[in-house]
Amino acid sequence: METTIGDQSELQCPNCAGQCSYSPVHGGLECASCGDVHDLKTDDDHKAAAEFGFDPALSEDDLPDLNKTSAHHCNTCGGDVLFTGSALSERCPYCDGAMVLSTQDAGYHTTALIPFEMDALLAQHQAQRWVKRRIAKPNDLAGIVAKGRVAGLYAPFWTFDSKEAVEYWAKYTTGSGNNRRTRPTKGRMNISFDDLLMPASPHITPLIRDGILHDFNPSALRPYRAGYLAGFAAERHHQSVVTGLKANADDKRLLIRNRIKRHIDKSGVRDIRYRTDTSGIHYRRILLPVWILHYEYKGEPMKVVVSGIDGRTYGERPFSMAKIALYSGLLSAATIGIGLAWGAGGLL
Amino acid sequence: MPSDVSPFLATIVFFVGATFVGMAPVVKLIKVYEAHHELKRGSAGWIRTIAGWSMIAFWLMTTWFLATTLGDWAVSGDLSGAVDRSWLRLRILLEIAAALADSD
Repeated sequence: METTIGDQSELQCPNCAGQCSYSPVHGGLECASCGDVHDLKTDDDHKAAAEFGFDPALSEDDLPDLNKTSAHHCNTCGGDVLFTGSALSERCPYCDGAMVLSTQDAGYHTTALIPFEMDALLAQHQAQRWVKRRIAKPNDLAGIVAKGRVAGLYAPFWTFDSKEAVEYWAKYTTGSGNNRRTRPTKGRMNISFDDLLMPASPHITPLIRDGILHDFNPSALRPYRAGYLAGFAAERHHQSVVTGLKANADDKRLLIRNRIKRHIDKSGVRDIRYRTDTSGIHYRRILLPVWILHYEYKGEPMKVVVSGIDGRTYGERPFSMAKIALYSGLLSAATIGIGLAWGAGGLL
Repeated sequence: MPSDVSPFLATIVFFVGATFVGMAPVVKLIKVYEAHHELKRGSAGWIRTIAGWSMIAFWLMTTWFLATTLGDWAVSGDLSGAVDRSWLRLRILLEIAAALADSD
């Protein structure tokens, strides 16, 4: 990602030498002075979706770029973020904490990114709409969130492909009452993971990924270049492939167990054990655009994240305990009412 | 022989208890509802959020079962008889609970 320094000239308007930033609305670099829009498309854009092979048996030849760049370090969450062009901010896009300039950020080359397609105004609207639609939200929540402002960030992600030859052992139940039995089962199956999207940053949780990134389309990837980052923050990739695979092993285990359950297709499947032979690992180191809105509710920091691609929104939210108690009371009253009538009627 | 107001008072106390106990299942219900509508179906986050949904059914079933016993008691005035008559219901409910736990 040292190109963010080397390609700064790209951010200068060829017409008036003004400062350009990437415009999600126009899909190109927009000059802040004359308003000209410059296209960033190239003939090689289709190559951005290329994947890289990885063999765990061989030593890793994918080494970090040791050219340390000027990143900003967050004293609150520890995140290191690059600002390209005019997007310099004193607040961390991940946690809204204060940031200091650091020169210690060495990371891996990013191969591709999907540019922002939603601007800040629309993202702000989406975040507020999401909050307003929460069931049992505190009454003052919408007002608090309305005061927050979204920050645009390119967050690091992996895509992993792999083929899994799985051999499994499990138990399932049959029958009911006195005829209920637990039976063992075993089997083999092949699973293919294609473009499994994994966060490469501790700041983006798998839950947020699953909330905002439903349909990852590799054809939307563009080659990494500074122009797309202009006006936004970006986090470098700091994980080796081995670290990335390890960090996302929990998710993969859960998905494999779920596939095994579906493969067995019986009720009460449990005690699943499996062995898998993984082959055909391919990966991409990419950046995906997100808008993050920070807010604090009763001292607890929370965030709403909006996909910069299609505006899907997900986040953290508080509950109003008074409303939860009300809903619980209503459900309890209805259930008790039915129960009392049932018992009083002498049914079963 | 309990006084006529005993089942009524027991129902009030039971309602308060069921409401309090039901707060966690209601939060779970909202999270499951939001996951169904907002998380990618079949993803790791979706699986983790949906897991444990049977606690909502267990809470409702337990509340219903105890209320049926209270209803029987209120009409018959015989608590131990109402408890005796509830055993079959309990057994059916436990079967349903086991089936729900299996599919959770």
